[in-house]
Amino acid sequence: MNEELAAAVNTNPTLMEKRAPRSRVKRALLMDRLATLVIFAFSMLAVIVVIFIIGTILKTGLLTALDPAFFAGKPQALRSGGGIGPMIVSSFYLTLLTLLISLPVGVGAGVYMAEYAKKGRLASLLRFGADTLSTVPSIVFGIFGMVLFVIRFGLGYSMLAGALTLTLINLPTILRTTEEAVRSVPDSYREASLGLGASRWQTIKNLVLPSAMSGITTGAILSIGRIIGESAALVYTVGIFVRYAPVSPLDPGAPMAANIWHIYTEGALVKDWLRVANGETAFLLLLILALNLLARLVSWYYEKKLGVTG
Amino acid sequence: MESENNLSEIKMRSVGLDLYYGEQKILENITLDIKKHSITALIGPSGSGKTSYLRCLNRMNDLVDDSKIEGKVFLDDEDIFQNGYGVVELRRRVGMVFQRPNPFPKSIYENVAYGPRIFGINDKATLDGIVEDSLKRAALWDEVKNKLKKSAFRLSGGQQQRLCIARVLAVQPEVILLDEPCSALDPIATQNIEDLMAELKSEYTLLIVTHNMQQAARTSDYTAFFMLEEQGKPAGLVEYDDTSLIFTRPKDERTERYITGRFG
Amino acid sequence: MVLFKREYLIEKVLLALAGLSFVSIAIMVIFLAAEAGPALAKVGVKNLFFESTWQPNDGRYGLLVFITGSLLTSIGGMLLGAPPALASAIFLTEISSKRFSKILTGFIELLAGIPSIVFGWIGFTLIVPIIRDKTNTPGVGILAAAMILSMMILPTITSIAADAIRSVPDSYKQASLGLGATRWQTIRRVTLPAAKRGITISVILGLGRAIGETMAVAMVIGPASVFAKSLTTPTHTLTTKILIEMGESWGLHRSALFVMALVLLTISMGLIYSINHFLGKEDY
Repeated sequence: MNEELAAAVNTNPTLMEKRAPRSRVKRALLMDRLATLVIFAFSMLAVIVVIFIIGTILKTGLLTALDPAFFAGKPQALRSGGGIGPMIVSSFYLTLLTLLISLPVGVGAGVYMAEYAKKGRLASLLRFGADTLSTVPSIVFGIFGMVLFVIRFGLGYSMLAGALTLTLINLPTILRTTEEAVRSVPDSYREASLGLGASRWQTIKNLVLPSAMSGITTGAILSIGRIIGESAALVYTVGIFVRYAPVSPLDPGAPMAANIWHIYTEGALVKDWLRVANGETAFLLLLILALNLLARLVSWYYEKKLGVTG
Repeated sequence: MESENNLSEIKMRSVGLDLYYGEQKILENITLDIKKHSITALIGPSGSGKTSYLRCLNRMNDLVDDSKIEGKVFLDDEDIFQNGYGVVELRRRVGMVFQRPNPFPKSIYENVAYGPRIFGINDKATLDGIVEDSLKRAALWDEVKNKLKKSAFRLSGGQQQRLCIARVLAVQPEVILLDEPCSALDPIATQNIEDLMAELKSEYTLLIVTHNMQQAARTSDYTAFFMLEEQGKPAGLVEYDDTSLIFTRPKDERTERYITGRFG
Repeated sequence: MVLFKREYLIEKVLLALAGLSFVSIAIMVIFLAAEAGPALAKVGVKNLFFESTWQPNDGRYGLLVFITGSLLTSIGGMLLGAPPALASAIFLTEISSKRFSKILTGFIELLAGIPSIVFGWIGFTLIVPIIRDKTNTPGVGILAAAMILSMMILPTITSIAADAIRSVPDSYKQASLGLGATRWQTIRRVTLPAAKRGITISVILGLGRAIGETMAVAMVIGPASVFAKSLTTPTHTLTTKILIEMGESWGLHRSALFVMALVLLTISMGLIYSINHFLGKEDY
């Protein structure tokens, strides 16, 4: 060791300059600047795209969208001057119905995954199911819903068939946000409650779920956005054009997003089709923006006012 | 020991150094000369700013948001905080070994070759030479020469720490900062690292932060005692002297209390 | 005892809810397979998957055009979308200040929330006309679809990749910077390799999203059941074919559309399976 050391020492002084020549360091610093610049420019693309999309849609459709004669108006199949009243009703109706079904199911499933599921075959099977469900294309859900709910269950094109289909799409989102929110509740809470003699379910119901409410609410709002924006899954389960707003869950409907597809396919059948589609797209986007804002406000409220996170 | 003349040469020097994290002043008025080819130990209770000081010497504190420095730190008579001073080059010249061994998730070979590679050396033969040389100097070569392509994570904690030292040696630093390098190691691995430090002293200037008084006494030539007078106030340097003097005849009462308490 | 029984019951009910996802997938496979059965049996695997002619009137149901269309549009979307998506992930985690990072994350979440139909409408009213004018071609096709898809998959890739990069231990970065590496050298040689697995997953899931996208692609793809002659001429994908023809098809024609759905479902399951099994373990 000592001999080697001595030998190494002797060769050292020149090696040092060789190992980190100034030109190298300069080049590395230049590359650092360049890479930082490129990464910055690339990541600004997302911002530009968002501003561009929102700007374009609102520019062409905002005025129409905010006109009561349009958003509360009756749709026209052949003549100009149609509105989208029944479409808006369809969208809200469908959202409500879907949440009514998917929230209990999704929250229950999420609680199970976070509180009860032990690591192992069963848990990974359940997770595989949820993961796969979240990557299945919505058109596949659409025609599956058509076969099962519309035809087999005999529901026809209806709000209910659409809500059941959307529940499948929604389930993984609500499950995951619930699971995360429940997991982020500190164990010390549970121990304190169990230590007082509360049962597991009492602890979950009275302590864990309220503490996880912020995350669950945010997840629910996010899934409202998905329901309102969904189109492909609804073409063959709910419908794409109606004259009158749905009343019963078994009535067909035409949610806005699906109706825009209808207008696109029918095209110039109606003279002012571009006006209608632009207005409807703008109205839809405004709703999405409002929901986004709402989600932010809710999580802000829970964080600041109540001092709870997650 | 080297000649007397060599020992007295100053490698690094901090003059009136203050360190802030945001509004809070962490260190106040640290003036310290670090002599070439020596081992300087930084001791003191937890929270006395030893590690923070160490991280000033190669500007790792720059990575903390809102950190701010007042005063000067010289490396070979150049102020490392002056505008335009190359941080990247500074960190190559002043290497750092961390509290917990932190090898990259790469092979043993690639860990050591990492530094040379970032400075543009890609020639296989040269890299092989550097890797072998560095591992030998870190006294690890014999244990790993047959498994250079294996993951660094398969080494024991002590071996990992020596690998991290080899990784630093591979970029030919002049100063090596060791931040409690043995705190996660068992006594035998600690002994290995201490032996290694004694050997490295002939070529490099070493600073070690340690909580272990025996380690400071055994390994270092000089010792600096840091202390935090009161929570919320900045920490400061109490005393700095030859290790033998600090441990036998400390000038400051607080140093004595700390050392005797610790030696107990 | 009563309490114990109730607790037991509740656990079983919750288990049933958690199992619904898996059960749904199983039922979906069964139903789609049943609907696809006639085409698989009568047309045959060879004439479905190795033929490119789609002429239901002549009993020809080659799916190759649609499979190719799906692959080309999504790979194109990936080529255009993955670089900015990964750059955003790096920027958010390694470069940007916390404050700016929050703002940028907000924009990316907004992008994720924009409905497919809006992307489609933008593509149809804006992007296709621009391509048409610039290239003097129909303008619809793989290029327009890839451009739209690149925007749509960006949030998926960015958020998953950013999580992966964030979970790389700080000690790796410190060691690298402590050796005198620049930030970019540290990102390229330490952080990204250490986050390799998560980044791969992000790209795979982005690809899955692109293959499954329907509405946005349908409004810019053509449609035409022939191979694209260039990047700016009409063609079709699996999803768009199902969307457009499901309403007006009977017998074998309809069954063949279900074969396409089965292909899409298989791809989804395959992607998740590959993530769980081939990317389950780290090399180091």
